[in-house]
Amino acid sequence: MAETKESAEPPTILVDPIDMSKLDQSFCNEIKSMPYGEELVACFACTTCTAACPIANQWDYKPHQLIRMIILGMREEVLSSKEIWECLTCFQCQERCPQKVRVTDIFFDCKNLAAEEGKVPNSIVALGKLLLETGQLYEVTEDWQREDLDLEPEVPGLATEPLKEILKTTRTGRLVGSDE
Amino acid sequence: MVEVNDTLSGPVLIIGAGVAGMTAAIELADSDIKTILVEKKQTIGGNALELYKAFPTDDCFYCFEGSRFRPGIRKCFYRSAMLDNPNIDLRTNTRVDEITGNPGNFKVKLTTGPMYVDPKRCIMCGLCLKRSGAFSLISPQCQPQAVFYDPSLAEESVKEIEKECPTKAINLNAQSTEEQVEVSDIILATGYTEMRPVNMDEYGYGKYPNVITQLELARMLDPNGESAGALIRPSDGAPVKRVMMVQCVGSRDENYNLYCSKICCVFALKHANIIVNERNGIKTTVVYMDIRTYDRHERYYREARESGVRFVRGRVHLVRPNPDGSLDIIVYDSLLDRYLSYNIDLFVLSTALEPSEEDETLQRTLGLNTSSGFVAPLDLANDSVVAGDHVYVCGAAMGPAEVPESVTQARAVVSKILQGRQ
Repeated sequence: MAETKESAEPPTILVDPIDMSKLDQSFCNEIKSMPYGEELVACFACTTCTAACPIANQWDYKPHQLIRMIILGMREEVLSSKEIWECLTCFQCQERCPQKVRVTDIFFDCKNLAAEEGKVPNSIVALGKLLLETGQLYEVTEDWQREDLDLEPEVPGLATEPLKEILKTTRTGRLVGSDE
Repeated sequence: MVEVNDTLSGPVLIIGAGVAGMTAAIELADSDIKTILVEKKQTIGGNALELYKAFPTDDCFYCFEGSRFRPGIRKCFYRSAMLDNPNIDLRTNTRVDEITGNPGNFKVKLTTGPMYVDPKRCIMCGLCLKRSGAFSLISPQCQPQAVFYDPSLAEESVKEIEKECPTKAINLNAQSTEEQVEVSDIILATGYTEMRPVNMDEYGYGKYPNVITQLELARMLDPNGESAGALIRPSDGAPVKRVMMVQCVGSRDENYNLYCSKICCVFALKHANIIVNERNGIKTTVVYMDIRTYDRHERYYREARESGVRFVRGRVHLVRPNPDGSLDIIVYDSLLDRYLSYNIDLFVLSTALEPSEEDETLQRTLGLNTSSGFVAPLDLANDSVVAGDHVYVCGAAMGPAEVPESVTQARAVVSKILQGRQ
């Protein structure tokens, strides 16, 4: 994104600006047209979402910055960011937003777009793989532990096979499949 | 038995025929009080004359000011109510030179003219306008309806034009005239002046022709203006495709004016909305530090975002002209902590609204309180329109004000004067 120009004179610009003409101006409208994206441009950058977020302190791009980046058209940066995948989906940002921007839902939209382009972090693909192989994300507690808790040895009604079958035909299946 | 006193019957001098001054004049006139309405320009209307649409109603200004309850006189409000009202002595092209006397009995020296074009004779045929650039039309809606002559642009041909004027309205040898009037009250309605930031190097105003102010943009957007409402680059007349506005130029800046000019956010967004909604395909970005669309004007901000106006919170890093007439502008985005580089055609500065140039002399002569160069009322809490004994103030003479505010203040002044005369 760096703007470099050949010039005989010494450079007058030492900052490294983002060239707006090289950004994807349609990205904002793309997100806006997706489910729950219509209030995207209502954002007035109050940073309430970032204030509400329990984990944004660890993020390079804070929630309000991601929203600004979407509006500016920084498609590449947003869709390849780790932040959209690290979102806990606690919906605090969305609940508190004074302009009714569906921040969490918009991050879901971004994740869907990123997945369409195959930009899914390995850790997420690994989870998909686990889901596909075992039909569940978390191992069922061991028999003896269940016994200690006065539970039946087997989880009643637990059937992972049909889920595995269904998942094979979904995008999760395709994502994991393409990775292999 | 009440003693008859001059202070209760003398005429009222109103300085400035903008929104506030005109409202005060017409309402005093309605109560049968004689007024002398003084305007330094050749037309009444003030800054609002040049607005295509005025907030908060987005009406054409001419259908707006205080005339709603007067059926049938909307666009011709000025002609019928200002020019022909027997209680209003309207004096355009006139300056207040000296104020002496005592409160209740001021003696005011007025200098009028030179009146090169007699507005009573001018029929706006346009003959002189076609022949020489020294003659111009301030606005098609100017009142009184007359062309304007600028002697500094005089050419050889003007003498011939003077002879050819079909109604003999032109007198190139006109001299200014002086007159002393006696008035009981003075209303200051001198309005504001838009700052021209020629000293602020970072914006390039006065250096690059495609850097303009908001009032200059308003004139361009006006369908009655030179470009018939089309947005064009002043440098080469090419159609504008991308606009950038920057807020708080010279406002909230202790090097220039420490106050917030209050209405620039609203009219900047009003203009941005007109551009994106009525001038198809023009992209508009607004660079701001705080958007202050106070009170009900928040709707302009919401509307702007929904219409596709883009907002960048930050400041301008630098403006650089390109050989093709466009400008490269690098903006610091303080939310992203990144610099953004834009290529744009028209750079519009929302500059500070400052006191009018003659305000200082008037304030000193009348011994008024001031605040940041504007008139400060004696008692802000209880009598916000009283500036001194028999001296009143309304509209932007007290600081930047919107149209309805100016109208309300003018009416408050009228009410004060009427109470004093009961």
